[in-house]
Formats: sequence, structure tokens, C-alpha cells
Amino acid sequence: MKAILENVGVSKYTKSFGLSLAFASVVNGLLVVAKEKSPAVQAGMQRLTGHHWVTHSVIILGLFAAGGWLLAQPNGGQGIKLTASRLIGIVLAGVVTGGLIILGFYLIGD
Amino acid sequence: MNELVMLGHVFFGVACLLSTVWVFVEVLNASVANQARIRNVSRAAAVFMWFAFLVGGYWYVTSYHTDKAIILKGPWPFAHNFFMETKEHLVILLLLLVTYLPIAAAGNLAANPDARRVVLWVAGLIVLLAMTMEGEGGLIAMGVKMGLLAK
Repeated sequence: MKAILENVGVSKYTKSFGLSLAFASVVNGLLVVAKEKSPAVQAGMQRLTGHHWVTHSVIILGLFAAGGWLLAQPNGGQGIKLTASRLIGIVLAGVVTGGLIILGFYLIGD
Repeated sequence: MNELVMLGHVFFGVACLLSTVWVFVEVLNASVANQARIRNVSRAAAVFMWFAFLVGGYWYVTSYHTDKAIILKGPWPFAHNFFMETKEHLVILLLLLVTYLPIAAAGNLAANPDARRVVLWVAGLIVLLAMTMEGEGGLIAMGVKMGLLAK
């Protein structure tokens, strides 16, 4: 039975960390805009670790790790129900959106 | 010392890129025989990327300000204003993707086409983004050169 289940769908951690990756990617882009547009945000991030980029990295990596763990908990610890195609679509959309926010901001918004 | 740090950053970045291409090709031909190798190489890609990130991050925080001043006074200010600014934030996306690669590759890739598709998409995104990082790094170095030539 276990062998059959392993042959369809993807594991709960593949799903949970995939969703977390997509979310963290978008937040990464939005955090760039927030700190570049608000000197107070940038100064606060600078104060926390000594460099805004270090704080930025820690926030996004922490979000990814925490999100991946949390999203693996629903359904009695079996994780979120999601097809592989849907997961790929969400990861792709998140990474492309996050990337475009950063590129777009420095191309036209800054 | 600074040059060694930069060489380390580029070396680990290229090692991550090559490892990910390796994973991509192995997954296209996934079987019971190469499953362990896929997992090991995907872990290696993640380790290489973390080294590249930490070494590059250390250099960025401690030493980049000198290069930045040269670039901004030179004829290619966009090497910092666009390429460095985007690189330092896009690289976080790359780090997330490469950290995710061994998680996605932990499934039964030999028997599960869904798990294979996820790994192929993630590896493809990593390769594209890693090549973008390499290109941006080259342009930033050119920005410094242009600034020094203009002096």
C-alpha cells in the first residue's frame, strides 16, 4: 500500500515547502519595495542585524522554513491536499511574480 | 584576500549550477539505479549554493562599498543601480529554490512521474536564475572596470 501511494502525487513536505517557497518569493519582492520606499523600514532592518540585506535574508529564509513546517501540519499531519500540476503552477507563479516585482521596481519604480 | 573570497563565491555558484544541470539530466532518466545519486547531487547543489550565498554575502556586507563607489562615479552606474540591486535580492529566490530541490527530490522519482515533474521544473528555474546571477555578476565586475578605466 505504501509503495502504491509513493507512486502518485507528491509528499507533504514537497507540497508544504513548495507553497511556502511561492509565498516567500512574493514577500521577498514586496519587502524590497517596502524598504526602498520607506527609509523608516530600511533603518529598522539595518538596526536589527547591522545590515538591511542580512535582515531581509533572515526574514525570507525564516518565513520559508516556518511556512514549510506549518503547511505540513493540516489534515491530521498529512499536509495540504494539492495535485502536482497545481503545485508546479503555484511555485512558478510565485517565483515569477517575486522576480518581476524586483526587476520591475529597479527598472521603473526606483 | 578579497579576490579569493570573490573566487570562492563564483566557484560555489558555478558548482551549484552544474550540479543542478546534472540533477535535471538524471531525473529525465530516473530509475532505481540513479535515485540515490539524484538525491546526493541535489543535496550537493544546496550545499554549494549556501556556500556561495554566505561567501558572497560576507563580501557584499564587508567589502562591496568600495566597488560601489567606483561604479557610481564611472560611466556604468547601472551596474550597481540595476544589476547589483536586483542580484542581491534575486539571489534569495535562488537560495530558496536550491534549498527546496533536495526536499522535492526526496520522493520516489523512479516510480512517480508527478515527483519527477516537480523536480524538473524546480531544477529548470534554478538553472535559469543561476545563469542570470552569473551574467549579472559579470556585468557588475565590468562596471568596476569601466569606473577604473575612466579615472
